[in-house]
Amino acid sequence: MRLTGFRYLRRQRVAALVVITAFPSMLFSMTAFSLLGFYRGFSAYLGEGEDIMVIYDRNSRTPYTGLVPVYLADRIRAVSGVLASSAEAIAPCTLKGESVFLRGIVPEDFSKLNKLTMMEGEMIRLEDLNFMVVGRNVAERLGLNLNDKVLVSSVLTGRYLDLQVKGVFVSHSPIDDEIVAPIYVGQWLRGADYAHATIIRVKIDAKTVSRSDVLRVVEEEASGQPPPGREEEEPTEEPIIPRIVIRFRAEDIGVEEAASFMRSYMDRYGVTRESLMTLSLAVFFFSSVSIALGYKVIIAQHRGEVDVLRCLGASKRFMKVDLLAKLLPWSILASFTGTAMALATLTVIQSCGYLRVLSHTVPVQPDLLAIALNLGFIILLSALTILKSELR
Amino acid sequence: MYSLALKSLLRTGGTASSIVAIALLVAILSSAQSITNHINFQTEMLEKLVYAGGPYLILSGNSTSITDSRVDAGLASKLSGLSCVRWAVPQRVIEAELETSAGSRTINIRCLDDVRGFLERMGSYINGTTPESWVEADVGEVLARAYNVNRGDELELGVGGKHVKLKIVGVFRSQTNSDAELLASMEIAYMLTGENGTVSLVEIVLQQGVDSREALSQIAQLLPENVRLVQTQQLKEFTQQMNMQTLAFLNVWSFVVYAVVAAASYIISTRLLTESSYEFSMLRALGAEKRLTLTLVLAYTLTVSLIGSVLGVALGTAGSQTASTMLRWFLPSVDLAPFIELWQAFQTITLTVASSILGCTYPALRFTHARCVEQPL
Repeated sequence: MRLTGFRYLRRQRVAALVVITAFPSMLFSMTAFSLLGFYRGFSAYLGEGEDIMVIYDRNSRTPYTGLVPVYLADRIRAVSGVLASSAEAIAPCTLKGESVFLRGIVPEDFSKLNKLTMMEGEMIRLEDLNFMVVGRNVAERLGLNLNDKVLVSSVLTGRYLDLQVKGVFVSHSPIDDEIVAPIYVGQWLRGADYAHATIIRVKIDAKTVSRSDVLRVVEEEASGQPPPGREEEEPTEEPIIPRIVIRFRAEDIGVEEAASFMRSYMDRYGVTRESLMTLSLAVFFFSSVSIALGYKVIIAQHRGEVDVLRCLGASKRFMKVDLLAKLLPWSILASFTGTAMALATLTVIQSCGYLRVLSHTVPVQPDLLAIALNLGFIILLSALTILKSELR
Repeated sequence: MYSLALKSLLRTGGTASSIVAIALLVAILSSAQSITNHINFQTEMLEKLVYAGGPYLILSGNSTSITDSRVDAGLASKLSGLSCVRWAVPQRVIEAELETSAGSRTINIRCLDDVRGFLERMGSYINGTTPESWVEADVGEVLARAYNVNRGDELELGVGGKHVKLKIVGVFRSQTNSDAELLASMEIAYMLTGENGTVSLVEIVLQQGVDSREALSQIAQLLPENVRLVQTQQLKEFTQQMNMQTLAFLNVWSFVVYAVVAAASYIISTRLLTESSYEFSMLRALGAEKRLTLTLVLAYTLTVSLIGSVLGVALGTAGSQTASTMLRWFLPSVDLAPFIELWQAFQTITLTVASSILGCTYPALRFTHARCVEQPL
């Protein structure tokens, strides 16, 4: 007996099943894409690639609150094979009553690590005392335009100042959600002195310099015991920032690849790619009962047709295989529909500004593993439910 | 007959699995909610660790920046009279053109009644002295380095065609934005702008230990309508916004979970109508009205979703707490204590029941309008 051409399943019922299967699939995809997007975005916050290192404060509980000696940036820059060394002071602020992160930088060094494309205006220079450039997302969110002058207020200290928008940039990175100003502005708002910054990012030529070479420089500086508070009188390219050599302990300063540095913070709280995927799968399994119920119901709804075919000689196994063959393509369609719906929903809520963590937009990107798992589990679930179903 | 029929429907084999289906969906929601609650609670705790005693600013109502603001200079002396105010400092911030060898540069001049007191309050270091007369000024270290200004230099400053010459008597470091400014006496502001009796802002610092809400209420009573009081260190607002960002996403995500609940409810009611078609036909044969069928389906869904949602809230909260405890065994640094507020549990249950009712309405209505011989859907 061949039933390939015999369409005994009602279209409306199958359509309802597709919708019912698509919703849990959407829920899983939405959870997985947003959590993995957050993980990916946070990991890439300071740069991606093995050639970008971060010098950070080991005692800090967050990437935003540590303090490292600024002068180390100059020392590390002098090492052969180091392509760039950028000291950055990151400060949480409020602007027009909205939360935003301000990154104080030395423009010349920063530009070697991050390429900012100016959409409007121009990039700041270190001597631009009361200017800032703003990321595209911040400009859109806060309605900032070129030459606007706004009051920026620190969250960690009672400091405040006027800053004028010198440009609006896009970098297609988390910096698009930040304000960029000269390093001393970041230091004022962070409540740090001129000797400290939040982090130092270093770009190296991986063929000639390694992480251990950078770490060695840090350890040498720590053991060198320079007189505390001594100001260097050596000629510098940026005379605006007072260069202060301070004493520090080598064990307080860490050197790590940028992405693994950010991941280490998440690891401390048990947030790993695997744990996030497991969490998403738990969401799928919790909602999978609805899918199983859906398949059971569609079989129950067609009991009459199945009974007739059974009377005509179709075996139980034959009927189950035929049901599976007829419903499996719809399950696959439902899985992809759910994924597409999740992507569309996330894109819409991202553009509406609802997909932000720590004032940074969470990037939405389909994850192939999540899509494969979604498809695989839906096929498995539908197959198991159909094959295990009771036929008369 | 109604209660008897409902009891018989609830005793069908599919009820337990229907309750589990709803409970598991609600458990996803409540566990996510309880973990978010913990994270938000931790953020609020962190907020309390930072001393938020930043100054308050009085600015004109329509200004977006300090340099655009104009307020009555007399306000400062009125506010200084309040016992809750530690100090109230009127300041005028002017953008002026500084003539340098490299050309004209725009700089900020902060004009004050007492430059020395201002620098002392910021704990500044100074190389030189503070201005003794209106022809003297102090320069911030960053500004001095940027434009190569030294102690003893004479600077020519201009605002809209008016010019003054100021002698630099000190270079200071305050580790604040004043390091990029020139500090001068208030007379300079009147000379350069011609405006008398107005300042850009009044900076207020409250006495330590005073009730800030009460103090701000006293201050607000003295303020005219065209000014606004701005808090500088908005730590609470900042953390609230951080929490809101998480909650905003959670709300959108919850909407999808409720959509799945509605879909599950659709399936549950369809299953009920398919598997209990004999019972429903019997009821009709016994004279039950169509409305009774609809009421029975709605009552069944309501009961299932209510039991499922209560179970789900309990399961989700207890499950996340158990998972957190187990996680702590492997990762001692992870200190999660998920919890759920009573109103959140009530909200979740209400929305689940509403979604379920929404999901079951269509199959119930279809069945009600179908003839006995027809199979719905």
